[in-house]
Amino acid sequence: MTKLLSISDAIDRFNKMMGIIAAWMVLLAVLVSALNAGSRYAFSISSNAWLELQWYMFSAMFLLGSAYTLYKREHVRVDVVYSSVGNRGRLWIDTIGFIFFFFPMVIIIGVMSWPYLKTAWVTGETSMHAGGLTRWPVWALLPIGMAFLALQGVSELIKRVAALMGVQELDLTYEKPLQ
Amino acid sequence: MFDYGYLAPAMFVGLIAIMLFGFPVAFSLGALGLIFSVIAIETGYFTMAFLQAMPARVFSIMSNDLLLAIPFFTFMGVVLERSRLAEDLLESTGQLFGPVPGGLAYAVIFVGAILGAITGTVAASVIAMGLISLPMMLKYGYDVRIATGVIAASGTITQLIPPSLVLVVLADQMGISVGDLYLGALGPSILQVALFCLFILAVSILRPKLVPPLPKEARTLSGWPLIKMALWGIIPSLGLIFLVLGTIFMGLATPTEAGAMGAVGAMALAAVNKRLTKTVLWEAMDSTMRITAMVIFILIGASIFGLVFHGVEGSNWIKAILKALPGGQTGFLIFTQIFVFFVAFFLDFFEIAFIIVPLLTPVAKSLDINLVWFGVLLCINLQTSFMHPPFGFALFYLRGIAPPEVKSSDIYWGAIPWIGLQLALVAVVIAWPQSVTYWLGGGVQLDAGQVQQQLDNLSVPSIGGPAGMPGAPSFDMPPPPSFR
Repeated sequence: MTKLLSISDAIDRFNKMMGIIAAWMVLLAVLVSALNAGSRYAFSISSNAWLELQWYMFSAMFLLGSAYTLYKREHVRVDVVYSSVGNRGRLWIDTIGFIFFFFPMVIIIGVMSWPYLKTAWVTGETSMHAGGLTRWPVWALLPIGMAFLALQGVSELIKRVAALMGVQELDLTYEKPLQ
Repeated sequence: MFDYGYLAPAMFVGLIAIMLFGFPVAFSLGALGLIFSVIAIETGYFTMAFLQAMPARVFSIMSNDLLLAIPFFTFMGVVLERSRLAEDLLESTGQLFGPVPGGLAYAVIFVGAILGAITGTVAASVIAMGLISLPMMLKYGYDVRIATGVIAASGTITQLIPPSLVLVVLADQMGISVGDLYLGALGPSILQVALFCLFILAVSILRPKLVPPLPKEARTLSGWPLIKMALWGIIPSLGLIFLVLGTIFMGLATPTEAGAMGAVGAMALAAVNKRLTKTVLWEAMDSTMRITAMVIFILIGASIFGLVFHGVEGSNWIKAILKALPGGQTGFLIFTQIFVFFVAFFLDFFEIAFIIVPLLTPVAKSLDINLVWFGVLLCINLQTSFMHPPFGFALFYLRGIAPPEVKSSDIYWGAIPWIGLQLALVAVVIAWPQSVTYWLGGGVQLDAGQVQQQLDNLSVPSIGGPAGMPGAPSFDMPPPPSFR
């Protein structure tokens, strides 16, 4: 179990780093979008590449940041039952949820997006707009994001199981993430 | 009930059960969709090929320019909250309105409306106003429930006044123009502010002790210093309103770009007030990223659910049930508004927008209901989801910053008359659709498609026609990847 917990620790650290990259995407996307709008009207300079860069960054933001959000337990829940079952009940809900809900969904999306990435790569698909960007990097974000998210799921599951076995404590008191 | 088979009703029951189970909504929704897709393929509702569209749907979320408004407006809100803008506004308007009974409450409503016209998120308004106005109101003898209620409600009005994030997300989910929805919300926004002010006026006449005027010794500012302080608050506000709302209404920017410019403006304002530290900036980026990831994953889960629900005839089933309601248009509107009001006790606005709204929109359309009108109604109603005790976000923020002598029960009771006022507005707007449609029509609008057209030299049609199927969340589909 200790070995598993140290794996979980390593995953947490890795996805924290991804979270930092994702957070920077927020500021960069703001700047790109504002500059893009500003220069379009001030100097009539603009390009599809910049316009598309915005949503490439947006995709990176939530696909790379989702694992860290999971680590922070900020994926929102309906907590009518969750908040009334006690910590052990919450550990069980999470354990069942990860195995039967989380992994199937994340893995299936990741696997199903693979052929799309392959096609984009092989055909060298680019944007249909003049001066647009190559598509494969943003398609690649989808399976990558899902893989990192699945990894974080493994780490979270390890922590829950360890807590259920009494190896270490884990307080799952739920507070709604602020929006 | 079962004209469309058993799977759709079963899936609907499954939706309620799986949400109550308490695992994060995003993954529960996605998993429910996948479980039912296995059954649906076994029973011949659709084939595997139907599911293979799933990554394309996720991709259409990734490439949806409009959704970028979510991080932009959230980021802007967090930065504004730290920029002292609200403080300056509140202190000066508090001094200006202070002498009349209920003056501090009017000041809160007024500042709430101005903040609402600048930013699109509730947290920024409620936190700023709660920190400044609540202690002041309590010190000068306001009733606790009136004080907390007016702050929570005036912070929540942000969600109705353009450029509201709720309106952007609703427009996206209903497949209508954000500009139209903004214009449609103008009238009801004014009505809502008026209703709030009338309520305070009524209280100040019937129970003047609950909302006393500021005593003389508390009115520290007057003359030139007061004017200067008021200007210091109002001028940057007008600048930001122009930067965001002005550019949208004049057709200079898409709502997304306006959000980005507003975020830059908020950073500039915070920098001028020497509040733009590294910590502030980092916290804003970090929390914005996590909120965005949380919200977009709900949308991903909901779109998987929506795809499969549509595949098992769910949208037709819902349509048949809702169209069988007595009373035609009005019956449908009243039923859906009551339904949304109660669902809002358990679900947040984003969940309602992503799960419920795509089910209601096609029915509204087939009943010939003006979708802008319907969207504004939903938006007014969704204000209550921020005010419902005990989970409403506005109350929750207020709880976090209220001084310890304010009891939670006071905050909850204080919210109730204001929820009533919000519902009263729903009724007014149902009875008087012109309050929405009056503003529609004229005005220049710019959406992503037009920007694209301005940019495109190629004649290849770009942002494509209506993507998904009716009943499923509608997105602009990306050009289909060339397959095999």
